[in-house]
Amino acid sequence: MAQTKTYDVIVVGAGHAGCEAAYATAKMGFRTLLLTLNFSNIAFMPCNPSVGGPGKGHLVREVDALGGLIGRVTDLTHLQMRSLNTQKGPAVRALRAQVDKRRYQEIMLSIMEKEPLISLRQGEIVDLQQSKGTAASWRLQLSTGIILEAPVVILAAGTFLRGTVHIGLTTFPSGPQGQHPSISLPEKLAEMGVRFRRFKTGTSARLRRRSLNFEAMKEQPGEETPHGFSFWIPWKPRLQASCWLTYTNERTHEIIRKNLHLAPMYCGAIKGVGTRYCPAIEGKVVNFPDRPRHQVFIEPESAGTDEVYVAGLSSSLPEEIQEEFIRTVPGLEKAEIVRPGYAIEYDVVAAEQLTPYLQLKEFPGFFCAGQINGTSGYEEAAAQGIMAGINAGLYLKGKKPFLPRRDEAYIGVLLDDLITKELDEPYRIMTSFAEFRLSLRQENADLRLAEYGYRYGLLSEAEYEHFLAKKERIQQIQTTLEKTAFDPRSAAGRKVTEQTGITLQQRISLAELLQKPEVSYKMLQEVYAELPPANDEARVVENQIKYQGYLAREAKMAERLRKMEEKQIPPGFDYNEVPNLSTAAREKLTRIAPLTLGQAGRISGVGPADLSALLIWLEARMKR
Amino acid sequence: MFEETIVAVATPPGEGGIGVIRISGPQAQAIGERILRHPSGKAITTWPERKVRLGVVLSSEQKIIDEAIFFFFRAPRSYTGEDVLEIQGHGGQKNLELILSAAMAAGARPAEPGEFTKRAFLNGRIDLAQAEAVIDLITAQTDLAHQAAQEQLSGRLSTYLRQCEERLLAVLAQIEAALDYPEDEIPDLDREEAGRTIHDVAEDLRTLAVQAEKGRILREAATVVLAGKPNVGKSSLLNRLLGEERAIVTPIPGTTRDFVAEISNLQGLPVRLVDTAGLRETSDPLEQEGVRRAWRWVERAELILVVLDAAAGLSAEEERLIEDVRGKKRMFIILNKSDLPPRLTVAGLPEKFSGLPVLTVSAFSGEGLEDLETKIREELVGKDFGRGHPVIVTSLRHKEALERAVRYLQNVTAGLRDGLSEDLLTIDLRAALEALGEITGRTVSDEVINAIFSRFCVGK
Repeated sequence: MAQTKTYDVIVVGAGHAGCEAAYATAKMGFRTLLLTLNFSNIAFMPCNPSVGGPGKGHLVREVDALGGLIGRVTDLTHLQMRSLNTQKGPAVRALRAQVDKRRYQEIMLSIMEKEPLISLRQGEIVDLQQSKGTAASWRLQLSTGIILEAPVVILAAGTFLRGTVHIGLTTFPSGPQGQHPSISLPEKLAEMGVRFRRFKTGTSARLRRRSLNFEAMKEQPGEETPHGFSFWIPWKPRLQASCWLTYTNERTHEIIRKNLHLAPMYCGAIKGVGTRYCPAIEGKVVNFPDRPRHQVFIEPESAGTDEVYVAGLSSSLPEEIQEEFIRTVPGLEKAEIVRPGYAIEYDVVAAEQLTPYLQLKEFPGFFCAGQINGTSGYEEAAAQGIMAGINAGLYLKGKKPFLPRRDEAYIGVLLDDLITKELDEPYRIMTSFAEFRLSLRQENADLRLAEYGYRYGLLSEAEYEHFLAKKERIQQIQTTLEKTAFDPRSAAGRKVTEQTGITLQQRISLAELLQKPEVSYKMLQEVYAELPPANDEARVVENQIKYQGYLAREAKMAERLRKMEEKQIPPGFDYNEVPNLSTAAREKLTRIAPLTLGQAGRISGVGPADLSALLIWLEARMKR
Repeated sequence: MFEETIVAVATPPGEGGIGVIRISGPQAQAIGERILRHPSGKAITTWPERKVRLGVVLSSEQKIIDEAIFFFFRAPRSYTGEDVLEIQGHGGQKNLELILSAAMAAGARPAEPGEFTKRAFLNGRIDLAQAEAVIDLITAQTDLAHQAAQEQLSGRLSTYLRQCEERLLAVLAQIEAALDYPEDEIPDLDREEAGRTIHDVAEDLRTLAVQAEKGRILREAATVVLAGKPNVGKSSLLNRLLGEERAIVTPIPGTTRDFVAEISNLQGLPVRLVDTAGLRETSDPLEQEGVRRAWRWVERAELILVVLDAAAGLSAEEERLIEDVRGKKRMFIILNKSDLPPRLTVAGLPEKFSGLPVLTVSAFSGEGLEDLETKIREELVGKDFGRGHPVIVTSLRHKEALERAVRYLQNVTAGLRDGLSEDLLTIDLRAALEALGEITGRTVSDEVINAIFSRFCVGK
């Protein structure tokens, strides 16, 4: 008789989604097993050694605000930090880090190891069953014969399910970067009734640093940013390593064009759907034939290795062709490839099977998170990981699930898009997806979400107190600005007038003065001693004051949205009952089964008339 | 339950005796306070339920649009279960649309098809069986709307608006691409050029919205009022323009006690010609009423023809009339009776009236009449109407959406000029596209993402 081990939660996969999920359920008090095919590859970054940027950086800060890990670990392992979009406005400012990917793995592993309720195990699942009985439970068998049981499974298997790697016309079953793929698990899931789609992604070659000529490239140094991603650990800027910029040229493009018949994406070898968000160089050359050059960034992978990442040259051409075109790029003339670029096809769970809480509708206690849901990116994976973790915990507690609204968090946008948009390519978050972009700023992520993090047990008492104190300080700044009058005749007032040319007859508060575009908080802080320094906390207040008109507009829009979100559609609702739905709407609503009228309205093909008919029918049903 | 207040004309379109405007929602009373006054001009402060009351309706410029009776129903004892204000004005599409516009300016939005009934059901005022009928109604009406949309899809309006959308999307996509891909090679936004593009689109849309007025004229006829002293030949002129004996023509001053309104086809343009009682001071109570009504017609006219008797000269009363009308309304001075020896000529008019269009006609001989018709047509719809602008908007809802889009675009041009950051510029730019999307049925969020990736090579 095989040995059976029981847990509250089994997390399958220890990537960026899996680690966040396991950490969340453990923090919520559940005995959690983190199961992976290979523990050496925990929190591995198979693509760019980089975290953040617009949208993605917002997600990192939100996961951090909830008590997740990606922000902290990035802060502790960054090689370079930059603040992007500083001149483009408050909504889109974003941090972006280059990280030491090996250090990242070590730190993440040590966090998992230190967590008392997390058990770690390496193993491959060969069987998966839903045990019958009063308490729904999942039963997993490993290839070694070990049986694992838990009421909750969180599947965070990344691109491993039936992973197939393409390099030129060479094709072999593989996970990312030469790892073992998962073959039995997707078969068992398919037997169970889970429907999959095939997606495709890819990465570029890794080169040996000492084979490159940096003289021919432009250095991209990092900056001393005033803060990192995490709200909870002290910010220590680390040694700033540089990235390097160079460009492709017509010769590069010529080689690629000449060899397209060997590119799996163009010769029909790949059937999976690729992404527009980070296209391979083949795609860029084909789709933008007029562009004389494309950017190439050389990014450090780790302080502990000479390997560097080549951003911008993702390719699945044969290795010798990759070498040939790489060597046309200035500075890369003698480049030695350590690992070739490749394309990978993998199974993703068709999203209409998911609730926005990331649970499979048909299978209680079975959650999915990360790339397996059709997203792309570590940040998107981490966000789903923590959400699947929190919702798995709430499920075990018998409590209402947690889903931030679209006006509350990018996380809300991500999960909502995932189920209403019907992805036809891997999903990457963009700030353009957020209709409440100005409200969802990176500096106010904790104000938006920390309460939830504390309520669900992911943030400690000490962290919560730190947060409350910060909130208090922010309120203080607001009050000071509102209570302090701007007197143009005072010494401070004269300085402001000198700098801005503002002359005023009536007395106004500093808060009102700050609304003027030519006045900044920093300027006021320099002349009014009672104002604290222009840090992130002051920026929260400054943005609230400066953009209150726009924020009020977003708030009004959000209010309308909230009303629609409050209107629930009962589970298992039969859309055939509702007369007058258009055929397209009926089909989509049935397939996607939105939880609220708001979600229903965001499904393409569901028009205002359909919504009206549905609303009336639902109200009628409630009255009966 | 619903926070928005909606308004619609509740009577079927056409020239009925009365027309009902219904306003429903939490703002109904507040809107009433803004657009209704006692006939004396005093504000209305009390709103007793279900009482018939008399008042006047004001436009957003505080001008009297109509005399009306109104009822107020307090929630939940109304058709929709919300606060409802019903205004019964004089029928006639133009009049009702003016009231509708006033209600919208005061905060109501146009109701969707079946929306009153939908609210009635959701607020528990009607039962399920009735509700099912409502669903049919909504579907039927949206099918019609859909059909109309389909027609527009292949039509010129849609093509035209899509071109406008494309121009806006090009600017938006460039901004958005740079915001989401700060490290890719996306050309910096040329604020001046973007400003010009946005300004041009705004102008095109504004023209379209103005054309909407002409579209309405085409559909419902413009009102042209003949005003002037008694016995200057207004009725004869009317008959000439109508081509039939409609008005009673007698040599006795004050023959036209009431008014005469007839639709005429002026070179293909439907025009409602109104012959008013002479605008003169009189002690005859019946005639006084006629004079009062004549002034009301002047108020709501698109064009006034002040008819003078060229054989008689200009009286002080007529001078006053011209002064009263000019500045308020477009007007022509008509020197009638050119067949008789003139005592009044174009050159003989006082200096202060120079600049006003003057036409010399003879209602008796028909001289100058064709020229008059041409001038009326040009004044109402422009010289190249039907040839110049490619499209005409006829729906009030579309006109309102266009006007909204123009306002948002004006914010964008101001923002571009004042150095507003790009993330904020997108807010109004998107709002403008959403307003156009209400007409074209396009979803901004999908369009912009497609535009980004089709125009810019982004992503590492």
